[in-house]
Amino acid sequence: MTAATITVPPESARVTPGRAVTVLAVRQVRWGAAVVTALAGAMSLLVAVTYAATVGSGPGVASLTSLATNPAIRTLFGEPVALDQAGGFTVWRTGTVVAVVLGVWGLLAVTRITRGAEEAGRWEMLLAGRLTLARAVALHVAVVAAVMPVAGAAISTALTAPGTGAIGAALHGAGTALLGMFFVGVAGLAGQIFPTRSAATSAAVAVLGAGLLLRMVADSTQALAWLRWLTPFGLVELSRPYDTDRPLPLLVLAGAATMVLAAVPAAARRRDLYDGWLSPRTGRAPRRALLGSVTGFAVRRMLRPLAGWSLGIAAYYLLIGLVATSLTEFLMDNPQFADLAAQAGFDRMQTAGGYVATMFALLAIPTGGFVAARLAAASADEAGRRLAPLYAGPVTRRQYLRAEITAAAIGAILLAATAAVATWAGVTAAGAKLGLVPALAGTVNVLPVVALSLGASVLALGLLPRAVPTAGGFFLLVITERLTLPDPVLRLSPFSHLAPVPATSPDWTGAFGMLAVAAVLSLIGVIAYEWRDQRG
Amino acid sequence: MSDAAIRTEGLSKRYGRVLALDALDLEVSPGEVFGFLGPNGAGKSTTIRLLLRLARPTAGRGWIFDTAAGDVRAAHRRLAYVPADVALWPQLTGAEILDLMDRTGPGAGAAYRAELVDRFALDPTKSARTYSTGNRQKVALIAAFATRAPLLILDEPTSGLDPLMEREFRRAVTEARDRGQAVFLCSHRLDEVEAVCDRVGILRAGHLVDVATVAGLRRLHRSEVEAGFGGAVPDLTGVPGVDQVVDAGDGRVRFVLSGPPAPALRALAAAGVTSVAVREPSLEEIFLAYYGDGPR
Repeated sequence: MTAATITVPPESARVTPGRAVTVLAVRQVRWGAAVVTALAGAMSLLVAVTYAATVGSGPGVASLTSLATNPAIRTLFGEPVALDQAGGFTVWRTGTVVAVVLGVWGLLAVTRITRGAEEAGRWEMLLAGRLTLARAVALHVAVVAAVMPVAGAAISTALTAPGTGAIGAALHGAGTALLGMFFVGVAGLAGQIFPTRSAATSAAVAVLGAGLLLRMVADSTQALAWLRWLTPFGLVELSRPYDTDRPLPLLVLAGAATMVLAAVPAAARRRDLYDGWLSPRTGRAPRRALLGSVTGFAVRRMLRPLAGWSLGIAAYYLLIGLVATSLTEFLMDNPQFADLAAQAGFDRMQTAGGYVATMFALLAIPTGGFVAARLAAASADEAGRRLAPLYAGPVTRRQYLRAEITAAAIGAILLAATAAVATWAGVTAAGAKLGLVPALAGTVNVLPVVALSLGASVLALGLLPRAVPTAGGFFLLVITERLTLPDPVLRLSPFSHLAPVPATSPDWTGAFGMLAVAAVLSLIGVIAYEWRDQRG
Repeated sequence: MSDAAIRTEGLSKRYGRVLALDALDLEVSPGEVFGFLGPNGAGKSTTIRLLLRLARPTAGRGWIFDTAAGDVRAAHRRLAYVPADVALWPQLTGAEILDLMDRTGPGAGAAYRAELVDRFALDPTKSARTYSTGNRQKVALIAAFATRAPLLILDEPTSGLDPLMEREFRRAVTEARDRGQAVFLCSHRLDEVEAVCDRVGILRAGHLVDVATVAGLRRLHRSEVEAGFGGAVPDLTGVPGVDQVVDAGDGRVRFVLSGPPAPALRALAAAGVTSVAVREPSLEEIFLAYYGDGPR
């Protein structure tokens, strides 16, 4: 054996480990970052530019402004301020949606590239190098956090382009960016607390949902308005862009975001690789329920996510039910506004039934997201080679995919039932009248749209398995876009093919049409899935 | 018609421009342990994926006990599989995964399964997330052996096992063969293949280059001979079958022998040989002779 000479390049000539990992993190999020930044800018620009055409001045603004007095409107969409300006109107119309999109993207990206990569074993080699776990986590989180100011700048630029006030634009962009950074930090922290990506993501989503609900509750009554100081969504609202332009709430939010982000490496420093602050017990007695068949197993894997989605949907629709009376009374007291609503096709908004029907259309988004997520999980199981043992048994592709579709459909039906029961309970508690059966009819009425989302996801699984989450996301974006299209009367425009059940009878043609399209999409997807090779 | 456990005819798979498997003709009989060897990327796992219908062949066909490999529902009632890189559902415990495999697969006897859990020293109460590579492999092995399926397809099943568990694995394979099960074993552990396999197939760049018994493979290859002499060391150059003669000093000579040994033995006897040591090539040397040199 001859002695080997090891030549190490001088330190200055080598890429530092920190830089190399930063590049690694950037490469994992750059496309998503580009898409959400473009989306945030484009949505703001679209609404600001079309403000004159959709709202303009005069009666439109007058009736919109009268909305500000209504607690139900405030609860659902935030306190409307400065609706007489394109900037203020844009902030009110798009602010929450853009903030949620950025926040959700940020937290999903963080848990994917930190805890997800760690859980998959990809960090073991990384950490055998010169980098510590805490530093690797901090760099990955910092890269996602850095996307937020870019997206914020895109929003501010989009708002200033059509000539809205620069201060308001800057404040709104900064507020949205800080909110995004806060949730990036929350996700980073959740990734240190929980040992799995799915648990960390669920926890971060729960914090975001709770923040949104807290803002809604705070806006519902004057007495609770102070609660807005406790949630990022409330703080952003308190900054009142294009109105009083208050910087203080944003400073508070900046402080909170800094604290959460700083806590991430501190929490990472005190744990082992693969471990979390809350690690479940490693051993337990077997639970043999629902392991007997492929369908049973699909249902079993769905139950836990279903519980999470149900909780969020129940909380939201309970709130919808609770504010129903106040909104319908407002419309009865403001006939000119009810007329405007009627012109837009909602001639029964004054009744609880008409109002909840409109709100039920929104149910298509989380429920569609749930079914898309189930198919995305199936795609991940395939890519992770977990299906190989199942397929080595006498299980056909069709059998497996049918089981997954069935489980997702059962979940969607249960979510619809949950929304109906929660709304019914809320409306009843608020002293208004809404039967449980009409509420159920209203939520079930939305299921054909959910079926479309399921069909699109199955099609993607068959033809472009890697694109299942993207396909699901794209589908949701399309329906969200329909809901937020510029509209003179609120943003309550439902899908043209959905009848406002229980206010009117269902649009059977539309419903069966959608179900037929969904069935065709699924069928093509199943056949393609049977024919293609398994990945992994 | 044949009663082969595995039979393929011209089985081929093309991934884009790469021909991963080129017209494979293979037959594995019941009660036979068949070793499938080849370097990384030779097409071993592709063959298994085609047999299990995880992938579709570009050309050719495969049968499992005379059932077309594509008829998953029927063919897979008679086989069990251990993948090379075992991926388990992280949210289930070992016991739950064994249960799931039992109930969705060909079915297993609870008593034999419990015995295997014991023999492989697996703690089935742990969640799959916490299992090491070796423990994940044990789960898959227990699930496969427990089925007593007539055909076991094992892809690198012992890469993560310790020597004790490896011994247990060899025992389980032998028991399976004694019961009449066929075992299709892909492995890089040549000692293991040598120990348990009846026949070996050697795959190179998608082609099956040889199928033979382990002893048969040896016969095709060269042995190393070392001979000692009381007197002068004879000149062995030119003796048929003798190659690479090296004078080891001290009245000893080393050479490589191929073909029938009679001429060499006659030459040694004539020179008054005092000691002869013949070493047969290990499977590793045979393997290296196939792949180490020559164009791939």
